[in-house]
Amino acid sequence: MKRAVLFAVVVLMLVGVAGLAQVKNPGTLTFLWTSDLRTMDPAYVASTPGSYAPFNLYDRLLNYKGEAIDEFIPGISRVVPSVENGLITQAPDGRVFYTFPIETGVYCHQVGVRASDGSIVWKAYDELTDAEKKDIVPGYGEITPSDVKYSLLRAMLLGFSWMSNAITDMFTGSQYPDVEAMALALGGVETMDEVDDATEAAVYNTLADKIAVRDDAVEIVLDKPFPATLGILALPFGASILDQEWAVAQGAWDGAANTWIDYFKPTLEENPLFAIENGSGPFQLEEWDRAEKKAIFKRFEGYFREPASLERVVLRSVTEWTTRRLQLEAGDADLVSTPVEFLDEMEATDGVTVLRGLPMVSTTNTFFLWPVQDSGNPNLGSGKLDGKGIPPDFFSDIDVRKGFCYAMDYDALINQIHLGNTEQARGPIVKGIMGYRADSPVYSYDPEKAKEHFMKAWGGEVWEKGFKLTAFYIAGITTWQSALGILQQNLSRINPKFQIEIQGVQWSAFSDLLWGGAEPGAALVVCNWGPDYSDPGGPLGAASYYLDMNGAVAGFSGSGYVDLIEDKFQPLLDEAWALVDPAEREPIYAKLQEMSYEYATSLFMWQDYTYLVERDWVHGYTHNAITYGAVYFYPMSKSE
Amino acid sequence: MLSYAIRRLLFLPIVLILLALMIFALQMMLTPMQRLALYAPSPDYLKGGETFIRSLIDLYGLDDPFFVQFGRWIGNVVRGNLGWSETARMPVGQAIALLFPATLELALFSFIPVILGAIWLGTKAATHHNRLTDHSVRVFTILGWSFPDFVFGLLALMVFYGSLRWFPPGRLSPAMDAIVRSDAFHRYTRMNVLDAILNGNGRVMLDSLRHLVLPVITLAYVNWASMVRIMRSSMLETLRQDYVTTARAKGLTERKVENRHARRNALLPVTTVSGFVVAWMMGGVVIIESIFDYHGLGRFAANAAANLDFSAILGFALYFAVLLVIVNLVVDLLYAYLDPRVKLG
Repeated sequence: MKRAVLFAVVVLMLVGVAGLAQVKNPGTLTFLWTSDLRTMDPAYVASTPGSYAPFNLYDRLLNYKGEAIDEFIPGISRVVPSVENGLITQAPDGRVFYTFPIETGVYCHQVGVRASDGSIVWKAYDELTDAEKKDIVPGYGEITPSDVKYSLLRAMLLGFSWMSNAITDMFTGSQYPDVEAMALALGGVETMDEVDDATEAAVYNTLADKIAVRDDAVEIVLDKPFPATLGILALPFGASILDQEWAVAQGAWDGAANTWIDYFKPTLEENPLFAIENGSGPFQLEEWDRAEKKAIFKRFEGYFREPASLERVVLRSVTEWTTRRLQLEAGDADLVSTPVEFLDEMEATDGVTVLRGLPMVSTTNTFFLWPVQDSGNPNLGSGKLDGKGIPPDFFSDIDVRKGFCYAMDYDALINQIHLGNTEQARGPIVKGIMGYRADSPVYSYDPEKAKEHFMKAWGGEVWEKGFKLTAFYIAGITTWQSALGILQQNLSRINPKFQIEIQGVQWSAFSDLLWGGAEPGAALVVCNWGPDYSDPGGPLGAASYYLDMNGAVAGFSGSGYVDLIEDKFQPLLDEAWALVDPAEREPIYAKLQEMSYEYATSLFMWQDYTYLVERDWVHGYTHNAITYGAVYFYPMSKSE
Repeated sequence: MLSYAIRRLLFLPIVLILLALMIFALQMMLTPMQRLALYAPSPDYLKGGETFIRSLIDLYGLDDPFFVQFGRWIGNVVRGNLGWSETARMPVGQAIALLFPATLELALFSFIPVILGAIWLGTKAATHHNRLTDHSVRVFTILGWSFPDFVFGLLALMVFYGSLRWFPPGRLSPAMDAIVRSDAFHRYTRMNVLDAILNGNGRVMLDSLRHLVLPVITLAYVNWASMVRIMRSSMLETLRQDYVTTARAKGLTERKVENRHARRNALLPVTTVSGFVVAWMMGGVVIIESIFDYHGLGRFAANAAANLDFSAILGFALYFAVLLVIVNLVVDLLYAYLDPRVKLG
């Protein structure tokens, strides 16, 4: 009897032990997503999925500090420049100097080694013995201030990615959005083909003169303050630093003033750095199988800081949700992209952790576009206010816009569609960005007020005759579709003559609607947009994107919207951007946020958020709203 | 027979050119902005505004006249260049060459059980007409026909991988994948099972087979339905022929009557359908590939279509057209072999 009991106890213990989750592949983190890497060249990257490569394989001068979107930690720069430490200074003529002392001993994944015949051969740093490391040719695979200058210049002169063009904007004090605009202006020509050697050199010199190499430091000189400077230099895109000698050896631009045009805006296949990398980041590219949509990052043992905990990171594109889920549950995957409607289910799954409501700095909104292309445009219906259509400038009337804003049920949006994972957007500026105030006015669902405004709109004709229009969203994004569904229902309850047709279209058709003509092809669309650094101004700032006449939203919203912005918002935006003191700038951006409410420039809906679904043996993920959920694998690990 | 085959193949260039013209014409019905979506797949790429967008359209020649774009493409094809696939991030020809072995491997492992199983089951059903065997086979095939392949595949994955952990998705486990990618393993064909045999690596072979089980069973089961029914019907009809009655009357065993006299003629319709099945499998089965995380030509073609990657679409269409012509030719030749009454040309 005793033996039987003892046997049963042992069996139960063994079963219990076996039932405990054992970390599968402890050194390897597998991330199953639905995206794809586009290129290994940081100067070419423009999207969040694409940023995974530069983020993890390369370093920048600075990095964002943890979750903070306006604080930085040293990267390749030993110190974060500031006014306090004297590394940011302003001359009496207004020029601003940023000094970045560069770390020494920062090696890239491949270094140039002197071979016996005197030639330089590129070898993996991790595979060199200590004796072989003595044969590393100085500067070949070791990050120097010259490499920083080269990397920044290359990103600007490649001219392909808007994220890299932001560096140009920064260096030219927003005089030129990109090198093409600069070259055409300086050369007085209309196409890049007409740019002559003198202009080519002039463009180079204008930019190169702004970056000085001083012994072990890089000094950046801006003609006037550009508050978003540090933010841009910390972004995991074109500000990533690569080794000039290696890049040139692979066939990239040689760094000369009179050759950059030959490398300007290459197509993907023309870019010699398309599929290869040589960063100094905590991971190196072990394999990129483009046929199988799989990339493997291997730990760089020679990283100038402590090597990463993970030995490998595997990124694989798996389109079917059930397949991703099963692999997560089996432990064959550690992180998976998950549709939002399955979050509750995944949270209830053993061994799985869901990190919810991770904020992003973008917002999703319903955009009012006017005037709309009117020649033969079926999206306008009859093209008149006769109950069967709308006029092209329908949304030029502020009462129409306000009526729509009051017709949206924001509680339903946040609590029913987003399951409480986010909050209502108060305007283009989200929490954490200068100008955001938690008590700024926002619209709420108020059918009576909506009715009031509709009765005033267009001299009463809107209320009397009604309208019919088509609202568009990108097909497959169900939350956008649902938001329009709420609006559609509420409007028809307010007045049955208010009709909205909702149409989901592929991205190609959607982009054609917004950018395909001189004016937009639709009057009402849902889209999301957000800044790429924490300052609200500048080329990638929240306020600029939405409220600058040259901003991204103005670029697709129609000339009517642009006129409104130019008249009411631009002066304040320009004033805020010219100031240096945050205490002076903040009230202006707060005012702009309020004005976006006052003028109902857009129907602001929700602050975007993301979430992470991972096995509970994964640790160390740090979310930063600025990187839009891109995962930085360096601090992550796998353990019980 | 050889001259017939050559005559048939001479039509191939004409077919390919007409096909390419058709696809190009369809492409040109889209605006340059719509076609730019391939190179600017999200709003992030269009932040530069109108001027920037215009420069991208110019860069990729999306606004060039039809004949300029078509001429450029034809010129490249003549030089053996099918163009660049943004979807695959590599030349179209290279993408097809890399993904073809995966599709071929799946097709081979599926096609053989489909054909052999269909012939056997169909024969059994016909020769046991209206008896338990026949009814069982019919229920089995109707079930297969009723089951959408993605439902069957997902259920199979949930049970045999999700619950039992027997047959994982993908082509190889991470450990075996590392072996295959190592310098010690030679990828002669990029078909994992065959390469494993050629490398003498039993572990890789078994792992590859393990990963093939579910996709092969799914593909086989959903195809058995139609093939078995065709074989059964054809066999039933053949068994009623006078010459079969004569064969029986001469005292031949039933087995010999079935195998030597009836089955061969009953195979004719099955041969025709087999050609379609082969072509369909070799074109890639996108649903199976998506469910089982199997990267083959099906997913490539589907992604290319979704992304409006016309270089890839054209390349795939040309590949598929060549495949169809060859498969149809083989079917016709087989027909002539099986039925001496059929004259070629």
